[in-house]
Amino acid sequence: MSDAMGRGEMAAADLPVAPGPVAGDEGGSGGPGQQNAGAVRPGRETLRLFMRNKAAVAGVVMLVGIIFMTVAGPRIYDNDPKDIVAIPLTGPGELEEARLGTDYLGRDVLAGVIGGGTTSLTVAAMAAAMVLVIGISIGALAGYYGGWLDSALMRFTEFFQVLPALLFAMVLVALFEPSMWTISFAIGVVAWPGIARITRAEFLRLRNLEFVRAARAVGATDWRIIRKVVFPNALPPLIVSATLIMGTAILFEAGLAFLGLGDPNTTSWGLMIGLNRGNFLTAWWSVTFPGLAIFFTVLSFSLIGDGLQDAYNPKLRGR
Amino acid sequence: MRITTTRSAQRRLGRMLIALLAVFALIAAACGSDDDGDGAAPATTAAADSGGDGDDMADDDDGMAGDDGDGMADDDDGHDQDDDDGDGMADDDMAAGPDACNGGANVGGTLIIGSTQVPRHLNGTVQSGYATAVPGTQLNASPLLYDDEYNPMPYLAESWDVADDGLSVTLHLVEDAVFHDGMPITSADVAFSIQTVQANHPFKPMYAPVTSVDTPDEHTAVINLSQPHPAILLAMSPGLLPIIPKHIFDDGQDMPTHPRNTENFVGSGPFRLAEYEPGTIIRMERFDDFFIEGTPCLDEIVMEITPDSTAIVLSLENGTTHLSSTLGPAANVLRLMDNPDVEVTSQGHEAIGQINWLEFNLADPALSDVRVRQAIGYAIDRQFLSEVIEQGLTFPVPTGIAAASPFHNADVNHYDKDIDRAKQLLAEAGYGEGELELTIDYIPPAFVVHAEYVVQALEEAGINVELSVSPDFPTWAQRVSGGDYQMTINQVWNWGDPVIGVHRTYLCDNRVGVIWTNNTGYCNPDVDALLAAAGQELDPVARAGLYAEFQEIVADEVPIFFLNTPSFWQAYNPSVMNPPTNNIWGQMSPMHQVWLDE
Repeated sequence: MSDAMGRGEMAAADLPVAPGPVAGDEGGSGGPGQQNAGAVRPGRETLRLFMRNKAAVAGVVMLVGIIFMTVAGPRIYDNDPKDIVAIPLTGPGELEEARLGTDYLGRDVLAGVIGGGTTSLTVAAMAAAMVLVIGISIGALAGYYGGWLDSALMRFTEFFQVLPALLFAMVLVALFEPSMWTISFAIGVVAWPGIARITRAEFLRLRNLEFVRAARAVGATDWRIIRKVVFPNALPPLIVSATLIMGTAILFEAGLAFLGLGDPNTTSWGLMIGLNRGNFLTAWWSVTFPGLAIFFTVLSFSLIGDGLQDAYNPKLRGR
Repeated sequence: MRITTTRSAQRRLGRMLIALLAVFALIAAACGSDDDGDGAAPATTAAADSGGDGDDMADDDDGMAGDDGDGMADDDDGHDQDDDDGDGMADDDMAAGPDACNGGANVGGTLIIGSTQVPRHLNGTVQSGYATAVPGTQLNASPLLYDDEYNPMPYLAESWDVADDGLSVTLHLVEDAVFHDGMPITSADVAFSIQTVQANHPFKPMYAPVTSVDTPDEHTAVINLSQPHPAILLAMSPGLLPIIPKHIFDDGQDMPTHPRNTENFVGSGPFRLAEYEPGTIIRMERFDDFFIEGTPCLDEIVMEITPDSTAIVLSLENGTTHLSSTLGPAANVLRLMDNPDVEVTSQGHEAIGQINWLEFNLADPALSDVRVRQAIGYAIDRQFLSEVIEQGLTFPVPTGIAAASPFHNADVNHYDKDIDRAKQLLAEAGYGEGELELTIDYIPPAFVVHAEYVVQALEEAGINVELSVSPDFPTWAQRVSGGDYQMTINQVWNWGDPVIGVHRTYLCDNRVGVIWTNNTGYCNPDVDALLAAAGQELDPVARAGLYAEFQEIVADEVPIFFLNTPSFWQAYNPSVMNPPTNNIWGQMSPMHQVWLDE
């Protein structure tokens, strides 16, 4: 059994008469009877493993840089991404007021990359939150209760899974007015089945393990067991998926905007690429810089997810 | 646990692959197309395409004047640029003299035309639009041709008379003309073609006044009119009245869906159809028995159709495409202009008269106030839009009749940019700084540039404007024609004569819920009266006077704020001689005198 899982299991096994809630509680993790690693807390061990992974650390650095750019950037560099500041299609480095050049309307590409990041990251965060809420709820119910509820929820999940995701998102956005909310909603609606299936698999695996049975035996309610016993133990793969979902959501947002289904009133990286691509032959900078921004953001999420995956993997422990 | 790990590792791998693929796809798409067209999904037509070339208009049959017939009824007609009976102009320019095809020295060769326009079929009697007209005018001849100054010239009709009262036009056809199947072209075919257009073509006003066509002999057709109709001669242009074989089409089948519109095509023009792959290629071969001696010069015209104008630009640069008018955004045109191996010109196509404009929904409480509309006019700088943002590839136009038209009146209120005046007018209308909030729609792929500029310009005058995006063209058209908008960018074509392309936008009773009719809800009885009179006026000077007055009223009342006219750019290889730049219809005119110097 893995360390990550072991924590709750040991605690529960050692305390057969203890009140159920202790099983998964934070307090339980340091409980008695640890077989492995003595005083080393699994969280810290995970962090150590993560920090040892250079690619993952690079991902974190990149992401922190990008977030800093989008949050602090507008304060330092205060061009409005929508203002016409100079002659259209001026190359990078030619102008003081537009370091990375201007697009077809004379807007500052640098301001767009900075301002567009806010939109892209916000949409991605909202979409990922929505994916997690829907996916975990459905997956947890299906996995924990099983039976007809499982079948029904999984058929429902499959229905969403077989629809081509981008096309479905396009339909949803086209149905409503494109705005940050509808785009986040559309991405959330199409991207949750993966999370639901992972959650279900984890719950199926965990629900009949001894510590869960113990919790049930001491009279904990289903809601409490799901929340406090099973869910914390199902978290690691979900955290990994959630980081990857962020990357996917950014790509989705960019894809929708690129296809003209973005919110035209809010600058985003995808919108910049979509609007400027007709000028790609003559003004490479107007699509390249937002493209690079997307590339590095998605890459950073992937690297982080990758690193977390390895850090949570018990097989790599102790190496 | 192990299984879970492997599975999520696969998942992760898969995701990363997808992510990578998507990034590559984004980059590839950015390099390539500017028109997603029929690729992945219908909705991809919404792909932003800055400054297209009016594709939307061009191949849209229910577009343009489309279906506005009902509204326009019969109270209009057209103009006659050269008033008189145009008689006796036979055989000058267009008939091939000894000079044709470089004195006969350069006969042969294959002209390759690149186009993004996919025709529905090739029969121009029932299908309007550029996509059909370019191949259609090679395959079918028309009674008249036009030079570059709106002068009619003989083609199938070697001469013609307009009656003094304007109520009939007599065509005298050339005698030795035959269809591609060898049958002679007679007045019965002309009559049949006119009746087909009258019954099926979306530009109803073109032939609405025609009551009958008499055929006293095989080579004489008399067109009888219910009222003077000065637009009738222009309506016999190559793209508007192709002469089709009665013996093929007069079989009672529905014309728009007639199988012979594409299969076993029998035409009357200088080239005959050799190969037709819808949406891919149209190959046309020289018709040896064409009635103009010594032409066509070319052996073949091949139209290569691709949804991607960037690909066309590249193949023009490397010489594999000879001629194209669908060049995509302004940047592509500028790029070609810098290339010494490609000629770029805005000559030709003058009759199309495309105008980009900002249209107001007069049912909106704020926009129903003329002062608000005038304030918007004063806030917008046409000059800046055309010269800076569109880099001189469009030119400002203050009125709804294009500058190339003989009826254009430049002497109207231009609303030169004046922010103070705009703010003052807004204050008079009761709106302080930032108090007026509006939305602006636009034709999805191509016109986002204009909409974005208007947003910025109005912000300066204290009007907050939000872009309102429609996912695709039909959605936009439905919203605008249904009055579900406040302002929209629109592009409407003049189509040569105001009767065909201009009247439809202003007539009170043409508010028929179809795009490119009266979508603003504008109604001024004086304007209606002026247009009705101008539509029947045979004297061009008097007619121009009526249109001048009409344009002044519209400029003052601003139901529409006119922005600019995009040039209709053509690019061609320098080896193309006699390119279609010397007539008002451009490529919508036969290319029997085009030859290749290679």
